[in-house]
Amino acid sequence: MARTVEFTDTEFMIAQGARLLEDGKTFFVGWGIPQIVAILGQRLYVPDVIQLFEFGAVGPQSVLPFVRGTMGGPQNTYRSIQWLNMNWAFAYSASGYMDYGMLGALQIDPYGNINSTFLGGTYRNPGRRFAGSGGGNQVASHCWKTIIVIRHEGRRFVPKVDFLTSPGYLTGPGAREKAGLPAGTGPYRVVTSKALFGFDGETKRITLLAVLRGLDPDDVVKDLGFRPLMSKEIEEIPPPTPEELRLLREEIDPSRFLIRGEWMSASA
Amino acid sequence: MNIRREGDIEYRFEHPDDFRRFVQERKSRKAESKLCSAKKAVSTYVADGDYIVYDFSSLTRGPQSLIREVIRQRRKDLWIGAEFTLHESALLTGAGCATRIDVGFLGYGGYIGQAVCEGRVRVYEWTNGGLALRLLAGARGVPFLPTRDLLGSDHMSASAAKVIGDPYTGLPVAVVPALHPDVAFLHVHQADVYGDARIFGTNLFALEAAMASHRVIISAEEIVDPEEFRKDPMRTTIPYFLVDAVVHAPFGAYPGAMPARYELDLPHVDILNGIQNEEQMQAYLHENVYSVADHEEFLDKRVGAGKMSELRRKASIVEGYR
Repeated sequence: MARTVEFTDTEFMIAQGARLLEDGKTFFVGWGIPQIVAILGQRLYVPDVIQLFEFGAVGPQSVLPFVRGTMGGPQNTYRSIQWLNMNWAFAYSASGYMDYGMLGALQIDPYGNINSTFLGGTYRNPGRRFAGSGGGNQVASHCWKTIIVIRHEGRRFVPKVDFLTSPGYLTGPGAREKAGLPAGTGPYRVVTSKALFGFDGETKRITLLAVLRGLDPDDVVKDLGFRPLMSKEIEEIPPPTPEELRLLREEIDPSRFLIRGEWMSASA
Repeated sequence: MNIRREGDIEYRFEHPDDFRRFVQERKSRKAESKLCSAKKAVSTYVADGDYIVYDFSSLTRGPQSLIREVIRQRRKDLWIGAEFTLHESALLTGAGCATRIDVGFLGYGGYIGQAVCEGRVRVYEWTNGGLALRLLAGARGVPFLPTRDLLGSDHMSASAAKVIGDPYTGLPVAVVPALHPDVAFLHVHQADVYGDARIFGTNLFALEAAMASHRVIISAEEIVDPEEFRKDPMRTTIPYFLVDAVVHAPFGAYPGAMPARYELDLPHVDILNGIQNEEQMQAYLHENVYSVADHEEFLDKRVGAGKMSELRRKASIVEGYR
């Protein structure tokens, strides 16, 4: 009989993100969940991934446990191969050296444009104000492939974002290049707490690729603010493995401050 | 030149010739002691209405003792260039010091978000890369620099960035104007009395900010002999002739961390993160800023020797920092 595994939605997103990384490639790491993805991925799957942080840490191998609030301190700049600053960090991405980037988001639209600035109202009179771009706009503009991590909630998947903080495919095929963004770049995958999306090669629209084991693909997309394209074969995503969960809970974030979230379950 | 799209947004700008003239006439090249108290540095070099930048953040090597001194002296109508503005923007806004913020990254806690929603502080959206590039343009003495981000995003209408035709290819490219802040605050590991300064670890734009700003105030964990810089010039972050004032400020980054010197004080940071309303903000400012005369009294009465030695002990990673 299949064993049931319990995990938080955050843990599932982190595990999925870690499995997407490619070894021996460069990875521009955004603030928050992407930091944990990078650590888990490097420990388990991609030992030779080269992390880059916008504050100028090139190739760090973080100390565990991960200390929340750490951005640019000794823990997450540990064992770097180079220490620089922000203008040089973005020089690495702008000149084509960053293969992957990873960002969190408040809202996403069908072309992978993301908002992390405000919700509701207008820019001058927002309903709720959040941190904004940070370096997210540069990551999404420069990296060859951008991975977006976002909670699977209908209100986050919207036909039009309240503020376009970081560019996806803008209005469709060719729009990035027409705007002057580097050619051949753009969003690659969207990791959610229930599913994995990609982008259709022709239309550049977000496309459901896989769902968590046990979930029905139609159920997964029915509450979203728009209907995504559906891949011909919807794959099944296994839940977090015992090793992924052990590392997250015992070594990376023993205080469970960052990996907490809503509890979910699936067959192991 | 064909300007394709531009925001209708106010922004700080000064022509490079005006800044060069200031540097020629007003920046002393003399190697003389600039050591002074934070009180003197802020009262001499920070005026109401000034534009301020700082490096790094409230969690890591930020000039927190200088920020508190600005609040204590109740400066008004400040405009801050906030690359990583975590608690600084909330505190400066809550204290009635800041009225405009170039963002950056506007974190965290409910207070600053609410202040933006209520219109108590105006924000402009340049992104981290955009602000760093504006300072680089200022340091490089050019009126603007081009970049291939911001394009296609709503930052084009929430900042004064523009899209122009690249004069070489005709293709669209974004440009951002040079930034010349009135004052840069830099908290460093070591400085000498003239202002030569060393930062160990990464930085945001320490040298760019020092070169592009009219006034530079250094706060340093440790004051060292000027000869140290001559012996090991690779380690100089800022040369003395950019600097106007040097403040000796052990634990100047508190409650943030100083890499390889002391760790951040997480419980204190959590108090800051938890500030949601005016009452909590004013209580925090009273307790930690207004009710103490200066940084030394703050450390003595509000932090305490026990806490400081605990935070020093926790800073166990020293590899790479020296």
